[in-house]
Amino acid sequence: MKKSVPIIEGLFEWPSENPRLIATRCPLCGSMQFPKSSVCNNPDCDHSVPVEQCYLSTEGTLYTYTVHAYSLREPFEYHKGPYIVGAVELPEGLIVVGRIKVEDEKMLKIGMKMRLKVDKLYEDNENIYLSYFFEPVVEG
Amino acid sequence: MTESAIVSASIMEWVEAGHPTPLLIDRLAEVTVRALREANLRPRDLDAIITNTTAIPFDSPSYITTSAQHFAHRLAERIGVKGAQCINVCAACASASIAFALADSLIKTGAIKTALVAGIDNSPRGFYLPGQSVLDPDPYAAAIKVIGATNPAYWAMWARRRAYEMGQSVESIKELMALVKEIHSKYGALNPYARYKRIFAAKDVLASPVVCDPLHLYMICATSSGGGAVVVTEMEKAKKITNKPVKIAASTVGGPIYGEPMPRLRVFSTMNIEKPFTEWRLPIEKAYKMAGITSEDIDIIECHDTSCFHTINWIDQIMGWEREETDKLIKNREIEHTGRLPVNLSGGTASFGEAVMSQAFMMIHELFRQLRGEAGERQAKKNLKIGIFTAYGAYGAYGCAILEKAF
Repeated sequence: MKKSVPIIEGLFEWPSENPRLIATRCPLCGSMQFPKSSVCNNPDCDHSVPVEQCYLSTEGTLYTYTVHAYSLREPFEYHKGPYIVGAVELPEGLIVVGRIKVEDEKMLKIGMKMRLKVDKLYEDNENIYLSYFFEPVVEG
Repeated sequence: MTESAIVSASIMEWVEAGHPTPLLIDRLAEVTVRALREANLRPRDLDAIITNTTAIPFDSPSYITTSAQHFAHRLAERIGVKGAQCINVCAACASASIAFALADSLIKTGAIKTALVAGIDNSPRGFYLPGQSVLDPDPYAAAIKVIGATNPAYWAMWARRRAYEMGQSVESIKELMALVKEIHSKYGALNPYARYKRIFAAKDVLASPVVCDPLHLYMICATSSGGGAVVVTEMEKAKKITNKPVKIAASTVGGPIYGEPMPRLRVFSTMNIEKPFTEWRLPIEKAYKMAGITSEDIDIIECHDTSCFHTINWIDQIMGWEREETDKLIKNREIEHTGRLPVNLSGGTASFGEAVMSQAFMMIHELFRQLRGEAGERQAKKNLKIGIFTAYGAYGAYGCAILEKAF
């Protein structure tokens, strides 16, 4: 059986039932960075305390998006057009760019609620490669 | 502080990207000699040669220093200089703009009197995909690998967000971008140095395939090879060289700004703190302050339009007015040579294609010719005194300058 592996280590919790994005947060000023960073990125920070690893909210709102009509060439040919790239604003004030999963792109609306989902990006003969996506939260 | 001025500007014809011949250094040396001759200077008169590097090392499998990163030194060798400082500037789409700003600063502080700013690029073709660096794996590669977010994907996201914030439909910004292309292409057809001479109607642009919705193919610039050379001196010397010097009223260099909500190419995340496009606006504000002017003094704009959205957003940011004013300006064709605020009478990157790191030469050359009244059929009808050029690219790379007629 094929192994499910993250496309890049350290972006999200795995294995996990409810994976979250892994970020860093400055305990002094609260500035957050995704992916993880070695230092705080707030220009006002005095850097007296090191940043801590943290986990991001799994729900946010759609900030903007685009439908990418074309496929990429090798070695990124698994991004097969049309696919959707979007930016989701999390309650922490961080805007995260990621692939969007939705059945019909017409249902996407800026400001709508989105939820994190870790899912298959592509597979080869050895592995299933997982990545993070955002999908609309269906109310009700 | 010493005043500085441009005394000559030459560019080469922009051509299709990706061809290794004629050699870049030969084309660069040729355009440099043209600029020196226009100024009636010799290479020995140069105190500095400042060039952009090229986009090629992005995709180079090499992890030692490459010749494409050292055009200043190679050009110095080619033309022969006596003690000129050689500096190579690498800053994506803003490389040549920053090389120009650096020359301006060195002259204004009195460190040097005469500088050659020159450069050429030969862009990779198609979507810019990252290569493999052995010693410093490119974090940009990760965004492509994980998200598939190409450069046009970011531009498209910015464009959609602008429409949303204005309460407009996506169709309306598409139509505006198509009109920008139509207008830019009219001037490209009149520019002997532009690669594309075809005049597009807005409806042709809207009929071209969608690349990243709302961006259609003809709203995105092609990739090209091109470059140019500019001679900058202190004002006193400039007045002896030419009776039509163009003063550098201000030049600024920007960079990524913390809290800019619009994701810059190709980040995974950003903190949403500042007003959208602060990263584009701040260096312009600084330049106005430095030049002692306001946006109302701007007569003409040359902006880096890697997509037609860029032109729209540049007008928003340069004018600092309600965005509806920009829409009106474009729809009323006031950005044409007969209008009240001509924009990209060079034809823009839309007509040249992007020679990524060298694109500023096309903008500097156009403003220099326009302010001197030497732009032929493209010449703005209004009386020009002050022009601005701006460039913004990957990593938040940024360069901007305000040029002023000094005769």
